[in-house]
Amino acid sequence: MRKEVGTGGARAVRRQGNVPAVIYGGKEASITISLEARAFAPVARAAGFFNHLVDIDADGKKIRVLPRDVQFDPVSDQPVHADFLRVSANTRIRVYVPVVFFDQDKSPGLKRGGALNIVQHQLLLVCAPEKIPENIRISVDGLDIGDAIHMESIKLPPDVKPVIGARADTTIASIAAPTTVQEEEPVAAAVLAEGEAVAVEGAAAAAAPGAAPAAGAAPGAAPAAAAAAKPGAPAAPVAKGGDKKK
Amino acid sequence: MLQPAKTKYRKAHKGRIHGKANVGNTLAYGSYGLKSLEPERVTARQIEAARRAIARHMKRQGRIWIRIFPDVPVSRKPAEVRMGSGKGTPEFWAVRVHPGRILFEIDGVPANIARESFELAAAKLPVKTKIVTRVAA
Repeated sequence: MRKEVGTGGARAVRRQGNVPAVIYGGKEASITISLEARAFAPVARAAGFFNHLVDIDADGKKIRVLPRDVQFDPVSDQPVHADFLRVSANTRIRVYVPVVFFDQDKSPGLKRGGALNIVQHQLLLVCAPEKIPENIRISVDGLDIGDAIHMESIKLPPDVKPVIGARADTTIASIAAPTTVQEEEPVAAAVLAEGEAVAVEGAAAAAAPGAAPAAGAAPGAAPAAAAAAKPGAPAAPVAKGGDKKK
Repeated sequence: MLQPAKTKYRKAHKGRIHGKANVGNTLAYGSYGLKSLEPERVTARQIEAARRAIARHMKRQGRIWIRIFPDVPVSRKPAEVRMGSGKGTPEFWAVRVHPGRILFEIDGVPANIARESFELAAAKLPVKTKIVTRVAA
């Protein structure tokens, strides 16, 4: 248990090598605790941390909790704060369960160089705290490039339901063509268009103060670039000339 | 190279990069990511060089996501021009990268290919980086 709350209190806890945390939920008041950072950090990063019930000893009182959130420092990736939810046997909770794909070697799409494009890395399910599945296993057997796995084709364990509103046609994953093959050509085109792009901006800016500002600003890059590239088009040179500093 | 299709204003202030990334600091798409550890302006050219390095090392496998977009026009004055007389012309596009920002994500390749690809990409970037991995379920 810790008595210091708020930013200053939390920082004081961190300076001592601990991680501030809070336990809330049930019908009791929330309590603030601190955890030893060196012991907690590897546990918080481990797989399935949010799907297992934990008993926390807070000043001799054992509290059954489910980890709900851990904030990590974006640079050091060390835990900064943790949230725990008090649970009882009859509560039903919403929990994110990770999705695991298998049978990759039996997918013709993946064999042909396709990539498994995972849209939902986790599924939001409703279940009792004791019955949280470790993960949801999905086979990609027989899937070709362009095929997708939808929510309706997933078998969930008994007493585990998807969250209300999870539509049956929600895509979980698809087999996509590798982007490395698709992207090579447009990139070459983009490099060629680079020189024109500065002129595009000049054309738009020069056209804006005129009688029809929408005409210069509204079109996309391609038509504006074409206008700027024309030898007779005055817009781009005017704008460029105004900007040159001698 | 990446650049905005159109912009509201031609020139932007130089700006400063304060603090850490509070958005885009976790993996969103792939299993592996390249995270920036320093604040710096990354240009469209650098992003493209890094992307090519990744794509070529991954050969025909996997997918790449670019998590940053260069939307800040950077201006330069011509050579041998006296100071003053207004701001220079826009020369290239850049993105202000905060420490902790995920720059690239990849998926669909083995861990060793992912690491090697990111090492090649990191050499093209002006920031120190580290490789982050999604926790296996």
